Amino acid sequence: MSPVMWHELVIKRRWIKDADFFSVISLATVVPGAIAVNIAYLLGRSLRGKSGSLVAVLGTILPSFFVILFIAFFLLPFFKYPKVAAFLHGCAIAVAGQLAFAGFIFGRKLLRRWQHFVVCAVGVITVGVFKLHPIWGLITASILGFWLCPENNL
Amino acid sequence: MQMLFKLFMSFALIGLGAYGGGLVTIPLIQYELVASRHWMEFDEMARILAIAQMTPGPIAINAATFTGFRLNGILGAMLATTAVVLPSILILITVVPWVEKFKDNRRASRIGQGVHLGVLSLIFYAVWSYGHAAIERWLDLVIAAGAFLFLIVFEGKVHPIIAILICGLIGMFVF
Repeated sequence: MSPVMWHELVIKRRWIKDADFFSVISLATVVPGAIAVNIAYLLGRSLRGKSGSLVAVLGTILPSFFVILFIAFFLLPFFKYPKVAAFLHGCAIAVAGQLAFAGFIFGRKLLRRWQHFVVCAVGVITVGVFKLHPIWGLITASILGFWLCPENNL
Repeated sequence: MQMLFKLFMSFALIGLGAYGGGLVTIPLIQYELVASRHWMEFDEMARILAIAQMTPGPIAINAATFTGFRLNGILGAMLATTAVVLPSILILITVVPWVEKFKDNRRASRIGQGVHLGVLSLIFYAVWSYGHAAIERWLDLVIAAGAFLFLIVFEGKVHPIIAILICGLIGMFVF
């Protein structure tokens, strides 16, 4: 979604400078939540203050909100049909492949030193072995990563 | 009423953990909706996630709207969607005034790196927990591995949606 936002805001409307857009993205990535919503909040705020951020966030959420409501409202009854169920089952399995792909891509980029492997392993063990809430895996690995890992240019 | 409160809390928690891309929300959603609250079976959640992936907009928000609607109609959809974005908005409201000092700070980049590793560990976990639940037969494994290889081979050239759609079409013929 961020390339689309970049094109719309930087190239087409010329509302903000390229460098500002990327500093917003870097903050939007560190704060929890969907990146698109965070970017919308930050840019809306810098362009038009509080009302700008409200409008930008609503503008990001509402289209998908209505698309999903439409799907849920009109298409949910069809999910029972064997062919539709088979299609969705195939899609759901593909998501497993997509998760593995994301693990591969991010792993290749992030796991550069032994400390990174340790941090990641601790995160996985917290959730997978000790069966804690996944959020604890995220918190443990984040804190450990901050504390244990030396400076690394990503 | 209690149900709505629980729905709100669940999605607020999911929103709190939803860093970056959105794939990391999958283990959180699975834990909250299936393992912890037993609101739906894994299969139903997986279908909702697949649709959330294929529809435009962030996965976490799409999944929140859909699940909220499924559990409690329009009211549920509105509540879950609000809940999923609220934590990040509140954090941004608190953090932004500080950010001018924070920007380009080495500490900020180290926090970012820690969070990235946390996200990565949850994605590794999700490959196992989601994969374990979604893949029941050899055929499923073959399709998942096919999607993985397809994405690797065409890395950056095709949108992941293409792989999901192809697997859906294959599914129509084989299941």
